[in-house]
Parts: sequence; C-alpha cells; structure tokens
Amino acid sequence: MLKKLTTAAAVLTMGFAATAQAGTLDDVKKRGTLTCGVSTGLAGFSQKDEKGNWSGIDVDVCRAVAAAVLGDAGKVQYKPLTAKERFTALQSGEVDMLSRNTTWTLTRDASLGLNFAGVNYYDGQGFMVSKSLGVKSALELDGAAVCIQAGTTTELNLADYFRANGMKYTAITFDTSDQTRQGFESGRCDVLTSDQSQLYALRIGLQKPETAIVLPEVISKEPLGPVVRQGDDAWFNVVRWSLAAMIEAEYLGITSKNAAKLVTSGSPEQQRLLGNGGDSGDKLGVSADWAKNIVTQVGNYGESFEANVGSGSPLQIARGLNAQWNKGGIMYSNPIR
Amino acid sequence: MTDTTSRFGKPARIFQPSAAQPAPIKSTGAYAWLRQNLFSSALNTIVTIAIVAFLATIIPPMFNWLFLDSNLSGSTQADCTGDGACWVFIKVWLQPLLYGSYPDGQIWRINLCLLLLFVTLAAPFWLPHRMRNKVDIAMLLVLPFVAIVILDGRLLGLEYVSTDYWGGFALNLFLASASIILGMPLGFLWALGRRSQMPMARSICVILIEFFRGTPVLALFFMGSVMLPLFFPEGTTVDKLLRVWIVLTLFMAGYMAEVYRGGFQAIPQGQYEAAASIGLSFWQTTLLVILPQVIKVSMPNILATAVMLFKNTTFLMIIGVFEVLSTAQNALTNSNWLGGFSTEAYLFVGIVYWICCFSMSSVASYIERKLDTSHRS
Repeated sequence: MLKKLTTAAAVLTMGFAATAQAGTLDDVKKRGTLTCGVSTGLAGFSQKDEKGNWSGIDVDVCRAVAAAVLGDAGKVQYKPLTAKERFTALQSGEVDMLSRNTTWTLTRDASLGLNFAGVNYYDGQGFMVSKSLGVKSALELDGAAVCIQAGTTTELNLADYFRANGMKYTAITFDTSDQTRQGFESGRCDVLTSDQSQLYALRIGLQKPETAIVLPEVISKEPLGPVVRQGDDAWFNVVRWSLAAMIEAEYLGITSKNAAKLVTSGSPEQQRLLGNGGDSGDKLGVSADWAKNIVTQVGNYGESFEANVGSGSPLQIARGLNAQWNKGGIMYSNPIR
Repeated sequence: MTDTTSRFGKPARIFQPSAAQPAPIKSTGAYAWLRQNLFSSALNTIVTIAIVAFLATIIPPMFNWLFLDSNLSGSTQADCTGDGACWVFIKVWLQPLLYGSYPDGQIWRINLCLLLLFVTLAAPFWLPHRMRNKVDIAMLLVLPFVAIVILDGRLLGLEYVSTDYWGGFALNLFLASASIILGMPLGFLWALGRRSQMPMARSICVILIEFFRGTPVLALFFMGSVMLPLFFPEGTTVDKLLRVWIVLTLFMAGYMAEVYRGGFQAIPQGQYEAAASIGLSFWQTTLLVILPQVIKVSMPNILATAVMLFKNTTFLMIIGVFEVLSTAQNALTNSNWLGGFSTEAYLFVGIVYWICCFSMSSVASYIERKLDTSHRS
C-alpha cells in the first residue's frame, strides 16, 4: 500500500513537472472545437442555465478564444472542473485552457507547469455587514462576530487583517457558502467575509438584500485569469491576446454593435484592431479578423462584465478595480499593433 | 310444540338469559386502543401529549410551506412571491435535474435506455421458465454496452452526444446499474479466487478486494479523476465518465466479493460433497449448486450493497460530473436563481432518491419471499 502511494506521488510530481506537448493551436484548429475548463457553477463567472447553455465572465474568455481561433464563439466544449481537478485536467491535455476563477500566484505560476495568460477579473476578499450596524469601514469591526466558510484561505486573510490592525474578532465557521449566508441572515454574526464576487452573490440570496451592504475594503489580492500549459508559447499568445483584445476593444470604444461599421469608418487604431490593416492575425497564427470576431460575437470586456456580473445581471457588481485604467480601475491592455 | 304445563297447572318457568351487555366501554374500540397504547401509564401519557404537541407545531407550518403557500406557476424567480416553497425552481430545472443537458430532441434515447433497463430487470417475470437464467443474464451483461451505444449515438448513426452532456438523475441510475451489473459477476470471481487453493490467484484477489473495500469511494474517485490521467501517455484522454464507471465497478466488486464470501460460508459442506458424488465438475458445482444458494442467502446484503452504491453516485459531484446533486447545486448558484432554494432542491433530490431506493428494497423483499424455500420453521 505504502509503496503504491509512493509510486503514485512520484507519478503525480512528474506529471506536474513535465512540460506539455506543443501545438495546441494546431490541435484546436484541426479538431474544430476548443475544450475549455470552467467552474462547475459560480454565479456570473461560469454557470449552466436550465437549457444547458453556459454563460459567465469566465465562459466569455473561452468563447473569445474560440472566436479568435475558429471564427465561431460557439465552438467550445466546456469541461466543468472542480478546484482539485483543474490543473491535472490542463496538464493531461484534457482541456486546452482553463478559465475557471483561478488566482494567479507565484507558487502556481512557478511550480505547476502552467502559465497565466492575463487577468480577467480582479477579485479580493471583502466584508458584508448588516446596514443597521451603521458600519462604514472594516476598521470599525473591532470585536465583531464574523461568519466564514471553513478551510479556505479567507480564514487566513481574515486573521492576518485583524491582527495587523490590532482588532479582535470571533470566527463562526460554516461548511458551505449557503450555510454561511444562513448564519449571517439569522444574526449569528455581524459580518460575513468572502471574496467580493461571492459576497454579491450571497447578498442577493438574502431575504432582504437591501438590508446588507458590502464594505469598500478589500483585504487580499485575488487576480483571476485564464491558464494554459507551459511550453506552448504560440497558444499562450493566442489566449493572452484574445483577452487583451476584449479589454482593448472597450478602451477604444468598440462594441459588439458598432464593430462591423468601425472596420472601415473607425479611427486608425480601431480599424487596426478590427483587422483592417496590420498583421496581428498573421503573427498570432489566426485569421486577420480575429479581434473583430471576438468583439462581434462575445463583446468587449465591459459588455461581458455588465451582462454577466454587472448592471445587466442580478449580481450588480460595481466595476471597481475592473474598470479601464483611464476610468479609475486597473484593467489595462498592452497595445495591439 | 309440546305442552310444558307442570303438575300445578302453571306454566313452567324456563330459563331465559338476558340480552348480552355491551362490553365495558373501557375495553373495546378506539377508546380502549388509545388507553392501552397511548395512555397506559403516567409516563406514556406525558410522552403522548408531548409528541402530539410537537407534531401539532411542526405539521401545519410544514404543510403550509409545502402546499398552501407554495408557488407553482410561472417560470422565473420573481414568480415566487408566497412565503412557501418555490416549486417553480424545481419545475424550471426539472429537465436538467432528470436528464442533464442532453439535447431536447434526443431525450427519447435516455427514456429508451431506461425502458430497456426495466424490461431486462423484469425479464424473469415474462420470459419462459426455461430461458430465464441464460437469456436474462446475457441481456443484463450486454445492457450497459447497448445503453452506451444508444446514448453516444455514433455507431447507430444518430446525433453524437458527448458525455459532457450526460447528466441528471438518469446518469445516477445508469452509472449505478452499469456498475452493479458488471460488479456482481466480477465480485463473484474475486470471491471464488479468495477461496481458491491456488496461492497466486488467492493473493491477487485478496489484494484487490481489500484495496477496493478498504479505500473510501471518494478517494477512489479522486484517483480516477485526478491521478489516473497522469498515468496515460500525454495527449490521450480517457473519458471521465468511463473512468468513474470503472472505479464504481471495481468498488462494487470489492464489496460484493465479501458479501458472497459470507454466503459461501453459509453453504453446508454436504452440498459440495453431494455435487462431487454425482460427478459435477468444479464450475458445474459452483454455478449450478453453490451460486444459487449463495445468492439466496446473501440477498439482503446484496441489496444493501446495491443501494449503497446507488447512493454513492452522488459523490460524483465532487469531481465535477453533473449528476443530480451537482445539477441541483449548479442551479442554486445560477445568478438568476440566487434566492436560496436549497431546501426545495435538496428535498427534491432526497424524494427522488427515496422513491428509487424504496422500490429497490420492495422488489428485493419480494424476491426474497419468492426464493424462501428453506425448511426454517
């Protein structure tokens, strides 16, 4: 038994250390579909509706890559993956890319044999309090009872934050986010802490969502982004620049509505992004109108954000950090030229 | 009529029993039943009152929540205006919960497979007596593969439906049936091997049985979904459901082997000797004399193991297979249905499961009664 486990562990490490096979871009083109690892269900990020259609801000990154490579955002085969499976699935080639709310950290980047191709959502841990408490800032939370989901890094961040600010708290832990919400609702704690994107989802689940507010403080950095295997630079570039094109399109004011028109009538920058002049497609190994396909079929980053998690969705998450860099956020695309 | 006039000329007084009195009210009817069963002592009275009070506080709100205040019409979260259960949620998500994301027009294929399953299970009741064993066992063993061909569709020229779209409660049913069907004979072989005199066969079987019985099914699933892909050469992927099916079959076989071992031990030595004395070979003895008795003796345990395996299929949730429970959870995290319908969802899953497990145990106890030919008093 022990020997078996040792062998298994050895194989596991080898698997992670091995660099993956090259040529994903050609594989995808040959296959005609993109296999994309997504979350098994996370409101606004990747969710399956009752008809079996996937949607969400993470799903849109998959669709953008499919639009760039195959010219059709619909040619995606979604593989729902749990947090534990995701890296193995990528390593073993079961999926071509991951777009599954994965935090970009040094450890993952350096030791798991994978590359992060950018950030499509800047998340961070935050606090939700009942409005009646009259609290305006997390620094007023000294002595509070905090509802928290057990066994997550949120627990660690919370302890760090309160210790750093010399405050005391009582942690009330729950197993699932649903139970955490019920604990908050029944008044067992004053504060609920979780990643901000989660907080908004939990907030709608309350009987009276308007009685709770999300505090402005963010106590941890959780940049989420798409991931590809290490050692396949051509594919890495395609994924990175597909995401970048969505962000750049918003910056340049190109939307799914006006993209077709701007190909010929837009500013030089707009025209270049949309494939009229310039050779960005050639360099990436995709068609010249790759960015135009992304914008017309998936939309720019802002449209995707608002439709899935922002004002067009029940979640109503504010843009915050995820606004364009010239609008007070930190979403910034490197120049596409 | 004879004249009963006495010597004294008076009519004789004949004994006339008076009409029977009704039994004392305290010893018959509902009153007596209540008295004897519910209020026979002070303690009993207190317990009865407490339970009735408890039920009276629990049932009306529950009834209101389930039925009177519940919402059934409409198709969005906003239609759930009452205080009660939001059955709209179940209604909207019913198809994914039962069939997964299988394409609308192709659902008949799932139903066909379900029908085949029931026809095969019911085969002993409609097949002629002679053919029962051979035909039904062959049908059972072929069934999982037939179902896969039908559901996959490529071989039959039907629309190809990749396993990514399989799901819902049908998937639980199919996976459980397929692994039970293949796990039972495999487990029997392992159990035979464990009893074998051949050291090689015995040790292999012991190792297999102890490994699959001694490892939690969750750990096996993780190995199947996370570790196994790393063993394969790069670029080859084996379908996740296939991996899960193999894991479940081996797990079932490990448990069944031990169930059969218990059955083997209940067979008297005389049966083997009698079989040997009429010149039956090892396989004839095993299949014609021993196996039927083993199955008869182990019926309750076989059922318990089968139900356990069926319920274990919900563990598939943690490796991202959209069986019924993870479909429910996915529905609960959909941004259009964030109103907290977990009670409805889990209640639905629980009821569906209960119905299936209860039917399984009813059928099994019927079979048990039918098989009960022993001379026990």
